[in-house]
Amino acid sequence: MSESTSGFIEHPPRPLAQRLGAILWPSFFGAGVATMVLFAFVDPIDLAMISFPEVEISREAGYTIAFMGFWAGFASACTFTWLLLRPRSRFH
Amino acid sequence: MSTSAPDELKLYVKAPKVYPREVSGRFSRLRVLAAWVLLGLFYVLPWINLGGTQIVLFDLPAREFHVFGLTFWPQDFFMLALLLAIAAISLFFFTALAGRLWCGYACPQTVWTEVFLWMERFAEGPRNKRMKLDKAPWTAEKVRKKALKQFLFITFSLWTGITFVGFFTPIRELVPSLLAFNAGGWEVFWTFFYGFATYGNAGYLREQVCKYMCPYARFQSAMFDDDSLVISYDRERGEPRGKRRKDADKDALGLGDCIECQGCVQVCPTGIDIRDGLQIECIACAACIDVCDEVMDKMGYPRGLIRYTTENALAHKPTRVLRPRLFIYLGVLLALIALFGLVLTGREAIHLDVLRDRNALYRLAGPEIENPFSLKITNRTEQMQRLTVTASGLEGLRVVTPTGAIEVPAGEVVDRPMTLSVPADRVGPGMQTIEIRLDAEDEDGPDTTAETRFFVPSGG
Repeated sequence: MSESTSGFIEHPPRPLAQRLGAILWPSFFGAGVATMVLFAFVDPIDLAMISFPEVEISREAGYTIAFMGFWAGFASACTFTWLLLRPRSRFH
Repeated sequence: MSTSAPDELKLYVKAPKVYPREVSGRFSRLRVLAAWVLLGLFYVLPWINLGGTQIVLFDLPAREFHVFGLTFWPQDFFMLALLLAIAAISLFFFTALAGRLWCGYACPQTVWTEVFLWMERFAEGPRNKRMKLDKAPWTAEKVRKKALKQFLFITFSLWTGITFVGFFTPIRELVPSLLAFNAGGWEVFWTFFYGFATYGNAGYLREQVCKYMCPYARFQSAMFDDDSLVISYDRERGEPRGKRRKDADKDALGLGDCIECQGCVQVCPTGIDIRDGLQIECIACAACIDVCDEVMDKMGYPRGLIRYTTENALAHKPTRVLRPRLFIYLGVLLALIALFGLVLTGREAIHLDVLRDRNALYRLAGPEIENPFSLKITNRTEQMQRLTVTASGLEGLRVVTPTGAIEVPAGEVVDRPMTLSVPADRVGPGMQTIEIRLDAEDEDGPDTTAETRFFVPSGG
């Protein structure tokens, strides 16, 4: 920990793996749970019928799209959190 | 902020690479055994068939899950939730009892990292050679060694990805279709995805996953107390540490038992010094115990300078293994297991869901009021069931369709429309609760009931 000019404790920079990990991993985990819960109650085929009936979406595709969608969504939230929690000295 | 010093411009620090030294001993044998058993289960299970179906197959395309001869459907989802709760409480229990047993021996991150280290050692040699190789300029020898390592890493990762997908799509069909390049796009995608995750996590990120991403490492202290088993250095016995000749009289030199050989630091897969005390990074793999015991043997000192112990024992206080915390975790765990067993054995052979038709509430058919429904019938038995539908709860209520028996094949879910009617002059308006009953044609066969509501319009 180093003291910045304002007197607040400034955390030293973290490894890239830690930052990426802190964003990608919790969102991956959340996406897994959300996908499981969603498809425990909804058949992806039914979901396809009420969303894009003109496109043929198989169950495998449905699971994958939902998982990736959840992951992207949760990762956005995690990135937002990271952005809000960044020390102000990192914004030049 | 535009006045940052140049050193603050570095947004990322580089995590130094950890080169764990090879180690042998009691706990390392245990760890290797655990790796073989756990990875053996992972890689072999999908290849075992039971009565024509894969013994563990989470058949996502068909939305049914086969686990050791039992079949589950998405409707059984809460059982999975219960199973996860059991897993979590077990983790609590074992953590309170024996510390981070999970991390050191059973966590997939540890187990796969261990295997990737074996491959790394095979390709690049022991610790000092690996360190030297990474610093050395690119020679033909270095290229050969690195290429061999990459070949092993990638092949093993791909096989791991295939095996993973093999839990979701029959592996005996998946492997030939992958080899013939005509596998489904999603299977190929997930094979590569999981393969890449394995490659990255076990080949490169390794201890960083434990240090930066693992939530368990952060909350395990909540389950710890001074009676929990931890791996600790016996400071009292070891200090003051110092180098000495094997035949030196340590008492005359005023030294403790630690000979400052750095063995415990070199073997540590997370790159910490256990002598600094209990640390969040420690995954309790016990590699430092093994290496230190070996050194103690060589020096003729008693083993256990680094050992499994408790905070209380180190402070010369009595250690209490049987404590309220343990009984509470155990009680909750046993209750959950009992509940799971009860739910598992008490599953209905036939399950019926009755849904009201969303498009039409009712229809007038002459003097009768009709309501449309759809039936969702799950047959959890291993035989085909022929089921007849009856309805009760309102005067004159009768089933218009289906007229005959509904055939539901073994282990399948069948959707059927159902129409019920009542004479309009015999019922009052509003939603009326009724009961739908399914009976197998076979006398001893299964039956089930479900409740739904029948709508009668006012003035009907």
